[in-house]
Amino acid sequence: MWHITKREIYDNLNSLRFALTTILLLALMLTNAVVHIREHPAQTQAYHDATAEAVKKLEARSNNLYRLATEGPGYLYKAHSPLRFCAEGDEAFLATYARGENYFRDIANVRPLWRLTYPQETPNIYNIRPNFTTLDWAFIVGYVLSFVAILFTFDSISGEQERGTLRLILANPIPRHIILVGKFLGTFISINIPLTLAVLMNLLLISSSDAVQLNAEAWRRLGILFVIIILYTCLFIALGLLVSAAVRESGVSLVVLLLIWVSFVVFMPNTLASIGSRTSVPMAYIEFWSEGIRLGDEVREGYQDKYGDSQSTPPVHVIAEYLTVDAGENERFTEKYLNQQITQGKRARAITRISPAAIVQHLFESFAGTGLERHLQFIENAKRYAREYRDFVIDTDRADPMSLHAIGVPEGMSQKPVSTEAIPKFKDTLSLNRDFNAAVMDLFLLVLFLVVLLVGAFLAFVRVDV
Amino acid sequence: MLKTLIRRELLNNLMTFRFAAVLLITLLLVVANTAVLIQDYEQRLESYNAAVKKHDAEIRKAKTYSTMFLYLDRPPNPLSIFNVGLDKRLGNAVSVWNGHVPMLWNTYMHGTNNPFIAFSSSIDIVFIFKIVLSLMGLIFAYDAIAGERERGTLRLVLAQPIRRGQILLAKYISAMTCLLVPLILSLLLALLLLIRSIPLSSADFLRIGGIVFASFAYLSLFYLIGLLISVATRRTGTALMLTMFIWGFLILIYPNLIRAAVNPGGDIQARIKTAENQIQQILDEYKRERQKFLENEGIAGETSEFSKALELYSEVYVNPETLYSYIENVSLISDIRPEFEHFVPVAKEYFEFVEPLIIRAADKSWGIQKQAFDDIFVQQAKIDGMLLKLSPVGIYDAATQAWVGTDLRGLRDFFQAGRRYRKVVIDHLYAKGAFGSRQWFSADKGTVDWSTLPQFTFERNDMETNAKRALPDLFLLLIYNLVLFMAIVLIFTKSEV
Repeated sequence: MWHITKREIYDNLNSLRFALTTILLLALMLTNAVVHIREHPAQTQAYHDATAEAVKKLEARSNNLYRLATEGPGYLYKAHSPLRFCAEGDEAFLATYARGENYFRDIANVRPLWRLTYPQETPNIYNIRPNFTTLDWAFIVGYVLSFVAILFTFDSISGEQERGTLRLILANPIPRHIILVGKFLGTFISINIPLTLAVLMNLLLISSSDAVQLNAEAWRRLGILFVIIILYTCLFIALGLLVSAAVRESGVSLVVLLLIWVSFVVFMPNTLASIGSRTSVPMAYIEFWSEGIRLGDEVREGYQDKYGDSQSTPPVHVIAEYLTVDAGENERFTEKYLNQQITQGKRARAITRISPAAIVQHLFESFAGTGLERHLQFIENAKRYAREYRDFVIDTDRADPMSLHAIGVPEGMSQKPVSTEAIPKFKDTLSLNRDFNAAVMDLFLLVLFLVVLLVGAFLAFVRVDV
Repeated sequence: MLKTLIRRELLNNLMTFRFAAVLLITLLLVVANTAVLIQDYEQRLESYNAAVKKHDAEIRKAKTYSTMFLYLDRPPNPLSIFNVGLDKRLGNAVSVWNGHVPMLWNTYMHGTNNPFIAFSSSIDIVFIFKIVLSLMGLIFAYDAIAGERERGTLRLVLAQPIRRGQILLAKYISAMTCLLVPLILSLLLALLLLIRSIPLSSADFLRIGGIVFASFAYLSLFYLIGLLISVATRRTGTALMLTMFIWGFLILIYPNLIRAAVNPGGDIQARIKTAENQIQQILDEYKRERQKFLENEGIAGETSEFSKALELYSEVYVNPETLYSYIENVSLISDIRPEFEHFVPVAKEYFEFVEPLIIRAADKSWGIQKQAFDDIFVQQAKIDGMLLKLSPVGIYDAATQAWVGTDLRGLRDFFQAGRRYRKVVIDHLYAKGAFGSRQWFSADKGTVDWSTLPQFTFERNDMETNAKRALPDLFLLLIYNLVLFMAIVLIFTKSEV
């Protein structure tokens, strides 16, 4: 078996495709590293500046519990992933922050309470540049590496059959599956030489630059990503061997493989996503907007009906109750809209899992800390923090015996100053465990694809007539 | 002799597996995606119609002139199915008023706009052609000469009394005839699906004709690239690897490499800051003149009786993100209390003086905003576009976008129409004497009759404009074709067998 593997590797090392692949992968990975080193510091800096600014604003309000209760914690920013060079995901489209503010006009001379909202504008709306895909790892692996794997395997069996060398090999007393494993290993190693080289160069460049700091967890994530790359490469090698064994001419084998590649890697993820997104369409933005206003009016009218006209001022507790209900209703409605959007996004992604390229894209996003899963985690963090913040205000107010405990009414709240340290600060964190749980399904599917293709390749090769 | 050669090549090409496979996959991809795209278009059209209806109802609700807000909605382009360009990405609704000049920067989306599904780029028919046609062209070409050389049949052919150029021509003509079959067939199927649900005008059919022509030139260019490699190499294996890697580079890598190489130049924030200051100056000047008027009349001060009477507030500020200037000088009251009745003549004079001032200030700040937009966004897009034109993919994309009108110029037409409309509305208001009328700020003596307000209509450009915009790119494609063909003939005539 080693003999076959060795022979295969020698064959490949001397070939044009090996040279071209090495150049291509190296160039791509180095570009990726250079771009990341150039762009990452500014992005991280922007995140830190924005967070510091938000904390400063929050602390400026800290002397007054009433202001803390009505104006809220301010902007909550999504932490910047240091592994963005692995998968850009749809970071360009997703919001980088959530708002914990009140921006509504005064109602009956009282300011409404803050609520958690999510920006709805698309950051991409002024983008008039041509369509680009970022040259991240996900692209280099998903598109380029799979393409290369096809070019390495399309003639590995059909080519030998054409040249007649397959007869020679099979004439030896070696079982066929050993030959197949030998070929598989040979191709695998020959693709992995330039790949590993390129990945190492990329990481060397990135980790040696002062601009990017990778901690232990980032390296663990990179390790997982490398395993995924290997699985994905194996998958395409298996596919190549399968087709190459099933078809007699290498020309035909190449055409078949290219067509499979084009359909599964280029077209399916996008076409299926747009079909999937049709299955659950959220309400239109205009509708969301007017419905939100209607809901606010409804709550106000309900309270006016209950507690008399606006001429006489209702007791502070009634106002406080109204304000809490108003903010709560609004926040629930905003969340409902967000959930509708998320459901659509998930549906669109779920259906694309037929394509291994899409699976790898999802996996890369999950482990690089970008994309949808990451965003969901951020939203979860923001919601948890919002609860914490509200509880903090209520508890601080309760601790003061002088207070009337009417949250949101200036004269009904504790007048004591609050210490800046005691106010909870928002911290956006990432958990590898959670990412792993989210990615298990994709990992399983990837392995399943690989196993099916390997079995297919084995069956096809066993039945080859020489 | 040429005829015999062509016939032989044609048969060779048509009876192959690759032809059948390519035909099948092209038809499949185009039909499946067209069905998806048509649904998508219909959804966008629905959301457009809903937005128009809503905005129409909104304007009718306004009782006074000063509380009217006009919104313009951009209809989706039915030909965006062929090349979506910027049609889906950029905002499709914009407000227009005497203090607001509609512009690309101030748009928003009227329909569903979910960032969580933005990850999938929409596949249009040109995108399919970009990938499939180029692959097809190369697959048909890589062994055209190298294969014959390997098999030894080239010697036989060359032994005949034919010129070498003719052999190439025969190969070219027959391969292109074959390759046109999937192109034309899939387009016909797409059209069949299309006209069942979307009405197309005769100009649209001519535009589609333009797309077919561009696709043909693109396909031919890739065939010639393959042929060049085939002529220059001795073995099919080498030719194949070279063509495949060149394909990968041109289609997958080059367009994306540009973004990595070209950084958005200059300090955007600084540029925005300068423009912001300039706009602020215009607004300050407006405020000064307004103040002068109020002082002359002896009614200055935000807390004066006059301001109270009209519940007048005036806010002037610039949005740093879009450099949008807001001049709000709205009085929302609909009834004037009897004790303030004596202010009405002054108020009429005031608005008659101030509103034209606002119009001028908005016009001026639009000029600055446009310059900044050009410097920050358009410049960058132009550089990208130019670099992309080094690759056939970029030219093909630009040419087809120009044909269907989903490029930047096509979208800017909409905003131009919006600005024209703003002028028409302002003229209409002048003609009706609206600025100096009681109905500007009060509805107690009858509300405004909106039925005479001119309506906004947006017609896409005529075909000639599209053709004119697409022509340079088409020309470039043809030149590339010609140069390549000459290079091939040159190499082939000098090569040994």
